[in-house]
Amino acid sequence: MEEVIVRAEELCKTFPLSRKQRRLEKTTAKKKVAVDGLSFTAKRGEIYGLLGPNGAGKTTTLRMLSTLLEPDSGDATVLGHSIRKEKAAVRDCLGFMTSELKLEKFFTPDYLFDFFGTMHGMEKDRIAERKRELFSRFGVNSFAGVKVGDLSTGMLQKVSLVIAIVHDPDVVVFDEPTNGLDVLTARVVTDFLEELRAMGKSIILSTHIFSLVEKLCDRVGIIIDGRMAAEGALGELCGELSLEERFFKIYRDLKGDIL
Amino acid sequence: MKLLGLMKKEFHRFFHDPRLVISMLLPGVFIFVLYTFMGSVLHSEEARELRVYRAGESVCTTVIEQVIAENGDKIEWLLLENEEEARAEVEEGTATAILKFTENFDSSLGNGAGVNIIYDSASEDGSYFYAIATSVFHKVGMLFDVTAETVKDSSQMGVDLMTGLLPFVFVCFVFTACMSVTLESVAGEKERGTLATVLVTSAKRSDVALGKVLALSCISMIGALSSFLGLAGSMPKLMGFSLEFLGGYSAWSYLLLLPPILCAVPLIVAAIATVSTLSRSVKEASAYTSVFMVVMMVVSLVTAFVPHIGDWVVAIPVLNAIVGMQGILAGELPVWQCLVGAGLNVLYTAVLVLLIAKMLTSERIMFGR
Ligand SMILES: Nc1ncnc2c1ncn2[C@@H]1O[C@H](COP(=O)(O)OP(=O)(O)OP(=O)(O)O)[C@@H](O)[C@H]1O
Ligand SMILES: [Mg+2]
Repeated sequence: MEEVIVRAEELCKTFPLSRKQRRLEKTTAKKKVAVDGLSFTAKRGEIYGLLGPNGAGKTTTLRMLSTLLEPDSGDATVLGHSIRKEKAAVRDCLGFMTSELKLEKFFTPDYLFDFFGTMHGMEKDRIAERKRELFSRFGVNSFAGVKVGDLSTGMLQKVSLVIAIVHDPDVVVFDEPTNGLDVLTARVVTDFLEELRAMGKSIILSTHIFSLVEKLCDRVGIIIDGRMAAEGALGELCGELSLEERFFKIYRDLKGDIL
Repeated sequence: MKLLGLMKKEFHRFFHDPRLVISMLLPGVFIFVLYTFMGSVLHSEEARELRVYRAGESVCTTVIEQVIAENGDKIEWLLLENEEEARAEVEEGTATAILKFTENFDSSLGNGAGVNIIYDSASEDGSYFYAIATSVFHKVGMLFDVTAETVKDSSQMGVDLMTGLLPFVFVCFVFTACMSVTLESVAGEKERGTLATVLVTSAKRSDVALGKVLALSCISMIGALSSFLGLAGSMPKLMGFSLEFLGGYSAWSYLLLLPPILCAVPLIVAAIATVSTLSRSVKEASAYTSVFMVVMMVVSLVTAFVPHIGDWVVAIPVLNAIVGMQGILAGELPVWQCLVGAGLNVLYTAVLVLLIAKMLTSERIMFGR
């Protein structure tokens, strides 16, 4: 169970700031360092949480892992495939979930499942088999023929989850899994993640919610200003303290005071 | 496989939404109704009585007579004795035109035969006669020179509706068809965040770009075909006469116009798709595209007024299609011109597709703020 599935090494990402952004962020710097030498590893069958405040660089990190952004320096491997050099291979063994990736309203879950299966280069039979399995397991069957635009948020969330793992990826990357969801839908998502873990997948999620980390994560990395401030198994990291207390202690040590 | 899947998705989206299909077909119906109506307002139903002075003999004259009779009009041939007086009559409007054949016209075809038409392009009967006479001559095979003069000075000469304006109108409709589907599918998907969902799969960026351009081109061609049918069907009414009897400009012979314009469709789609990929929203993309459209309209209107523009024009996208169509309507068959133009258009399209693929990999364009 100690097999390393994802290994990030010294990832760095800097964004050029436009004049408008500089005004918004009240800075004169021409660049924004979003991720600054971040390293971590995620192992098979575990949920790894990236915990950090707004602007810490969580989304940027996950986008680099899923090959949507290219790191300025450093590299990461997913099942041994470099995110810089073997993008297609990485995309085929990784599922990326985020509220920013939308499904076209016009199509049905049924159609989209087939479509994204094809996009991952899967055979027809395999797609059909996988659809039967996932749709019944996550209760999508009853609305598989309803257009995505007509689904409730909970149903839509289920569909997005199922489609993101159509190709049976070993790694699932999830940005802010429960953000903006009501308690019921959030529960659907957390159950789903636990189920994936039970299947032996590696999951990397980002969040700023302490209770979510406590509930789900096996290991956690605390990111502040694009750097790894602390990392470890949940129990080791916190010791006697609660995660929240531990986080603020680290934060104060690093930045002086809050705000 | 992935390319096919990407294209199928576009088709599925289009053909399963009746509103999209109707909005693609509507322009054709609209053109037909509008032009037929315009035609019936412009042209009185009364039979025309043409008076044409003629010098020389040819079988062509009987054909002209027949076509005019087909249209329910009459022609009276007058012997040309004093050209000065005849010209004055044409100018006044009491005579329709003067038609001068060279001597022994029919027996010297291909051997110095020529015909000269003098008419008043501002008069309706005059241009009516001119259109029929020239199509009859083209039909005979152009083994002789046709020269035309108008009695009023050339500043007054209207653009030939047929050869000048028709391709322009047509291109505008085709452009609009391309615009509506491409903006919605490329800029729309980018704005709604559904394009990025495809980009996290292992589908090649070039397949994504090519799939869009190919599928959207096919869909736009349906729109082009619809406006084409509307235009071709209403043309006889709009012009106020039909040449069907000749097999001349009948609805079917307009079919020759289709290849040049259909070759231009993928290029137009690719150009709009490029702009759409660059823009953040549909609104932004449509603003840029309208600029495109205005430039294209101005440039192509210019070619409608400048008759012999030179061969370099085949290198200019879209314009080459317009000039090709003008040539076809004028009765020439500019085959090599059209082929070179079409080939270049395909080349430009390929370049744009590569450019779009490149932009899809650019994080600044896809995920920049
Ligand atoms: N495309 C971009 N252009 C410029 N700056 C960016 C861009 N993307 C992110 N940033 C900046 O990089 C920093 C890290 O952003 P990121 O979205 O990774 O943070 P996050 O940890 O996900 O925060 P949040 O909790 O708000 O989602 C932020 O300061 C953000 O403003
Ligand atoms: Mg974020």
